Amino acid sequence: MSKVVEISPTTRHEGHTKLVLKVNDQGIVETGNWCSITPVRGVEKLAVGKTPEQVPKIASRVCGICPIAHCLAATEAMEASIKCEIPNDAKLLRHILQLANRLHSHALHNILTLPDLYIPGTETKINPFTSEEPVRSVAKRIQRLREIGQTIGQISGGEAIHPSNPRIGGMYRNVSEQAKIKMYDLAKEAIPLAHAQAEFMIAVLRNYQKRDFVDVGGMKVPLPKDLGFHDQGYLATHPFYGSSSLDESPTWDPRRFKEARPWDWYMGEMTVDLEEPRYPVGGTTKVGTKTNPQMDACTGIPMYDGQPIEVGPRARQVVFHGFDEKGTIGQQIARQMEYQDCLYEMIDCIDELNTSGKVVADYIPNGDGTLGWAANEAPRGMDVHMTRVKDWKVQYFSMLVPTTWNFAVCSKALTGAPWQLAEVIMRGYDPCVSCATHMIVLDEDSKVVAQKLIQ
Amino acid sequence: MLHSEIVIVGCGNPLFGDDGFGPAVIEELEKLRLPDNVTIQDGGAGAPHFIFNFLDPEVTKRLIVVDIADFNAKPGSISKISGNDLKPGAYVDPHSWDGVDQLCRIRDLIDTTVIVCQPTKVIDKGNAEVEMELSEAVKNAIPKAIQIILETIGVDYGTTINLQEEGRQRGTAEACGTKKC
Repeated sequence: MSKVVEISPTTRHEGHTKLVLKVNDQGIVETGNWCSITPVRGVEKLAVGKTPEQVPKIASRVCGICPIAHCLAATEAMEASIKCEIPNDAKLLRHILQLANRLHSHALHNILTLPDLYIPGTETKINPFTSEEPVRSVAKRIQRLREIGQTIGQISGGEAIHPSNPRIGGMYRNVSEQAKIKMYDLAKEAIPLAHAQAEFMIAVLRNYQKRDFVDVGGMKVPLPKDLGFHDQGYLATHPFYGSSSLDESPTWDPRRFKEARPWDWYMGEMTVDLEEPRYPVGGTTKVGTKTNPQMDACTGIPMYDGQPIEVGPRARQVVFHGFDEKGTIGQQIARQMEYQDCLYEMIDCIDELNTSGKVVADYIPNGDGTLGWAANEAPRGMDVHMTRVKDWKVQYFSMLVPTTWNFAVCSKALTGAPWQLAEVIMRGYDPCVSCATHMIVLDEDSKVVAQKLIQ
Repeated sequence: MLHSEIVIVGCGNPLFGDDGFGPAVIEELEKLRLPDNVTIQDGGAGAPHFIFNFLDPEVTKRLIVVDIADFNAKPGSISKISGNDLKPGAYVDPHSWDGVDQLCRIRDLIDTTVIVCQPTKVIDKGNAEVEMELSEAVKNAIPKAIQIILETIGVDYGTTINLQEEGRQRGTAEACGTKKC
């Protein structure tokens, strides 16, 4: 007899989500549903009628963790729609900005994921906030990496958090020669730190993977060797940056994409009949509570060729670097492997940057309503923005963000794992939910039928 | 990070109406000529983990945070709170780190002042609808906030200080004959 257990809210990620799990007598997940319960906000509706200059600013305010990715994706979607080519130096500055964002985001995710892992050779889980060695020096290293990422982002993006430098047609300002040298020095300082950090994380993750049992709130839970496996495939457009045309990367084609409604995909109403008060933090949902993922979920289910598909660091590693490890640990390791790549690429871009080159396109068209899109490889995965600009007004704007893609894939990946480890699988996707929550539902003829589903 | 002796941070998200007060104040401050030892930053939605987190007490001696808060006053009222009066909140997770919690950690190292404005409508971020404009009362409070900031950092900026002395606020002044001055 299968039972229903609900973990709500899930912790150690951004936003508000819950896990509804149908488990068998051994506590193994038969069907898992991971859904966003952050309320729908309607940023896309707000964008309609605004000028293309305003929309990237609005998009970047959606989130405080990856404002850079949203700003760049929105800007490039606008440029793709109006068919504007930007100068090479502007492109290089954007690349630097993008990589800075990735560096600090991966480092932040390390802090979120470390409490699940063990200090090798001991039964002690890692508390990244402790003042004791050896963890303290790791925390300091993470903090320095984040700081370097943020500072480079601030120099190239013009603002510490929500970048002000990118504009339609390029960048407002090029950086000075001194600023370029500063960025270069910072990136060079970060390389040994990034190597050490990646090696540390991979060692700790491999140590976790070798364990037979792990401890969750005092429960001894068997660790399956296929934790987080799924067969949904991967989608990535670029190892670092992104693409806004099929010429650059044919992997993302908007015509192959359809969005399913949550009530066609998630489980219907159920009653929670398994409760575990020991589960951290504060136990699972009480027995007898009604739960209804179909109605509670606040995101659509994006389908690529009719199936949910994984995006993110592992997708990039699989598509561009021949990485082939499945499961949660494979995914985490792929993320650590991006640390150094990200800095070497950054240094290449800084090298190539001409600080006296022009950064704004000579001609910026007003747009004729063509569909333009940009698939930006944000730290968490492919962030697609689509738009139509006509006569310098935005007619349509849609954001298809990384975690929206991963909700459905992760739900599938939960099958076969002990329910106590569902959150470990979920954290592997580095979820960032507040931007994932918005909905545009299309019917068979791709017409918008409902913009907001939840009452 | 590129911080200086005095750091002024405006927190909040302009997508949630009056929550955009902090960034709006920063936008106005950017128009002023401030001393070299002052850095102003639009903290947006990420100040706790991207700015408060990286302040270096060796460099930064003074932090001023501009935000909204519900303190049961008339909408648009400004209040100045010393960092020492803040109470730590509960730690949930680093992605939604409470700003107050972080300020409580740094206030012993850096002289912290929080300048808050009472919003017209209290914003529950979990359930807020997106809306871009500041309400009239909060918009009119921007000059007042700037006066207090300048006073706090000891910058005498001619006109704004005089405005304060005469007890005037934007939108109420009739001295120059038009409604909007």
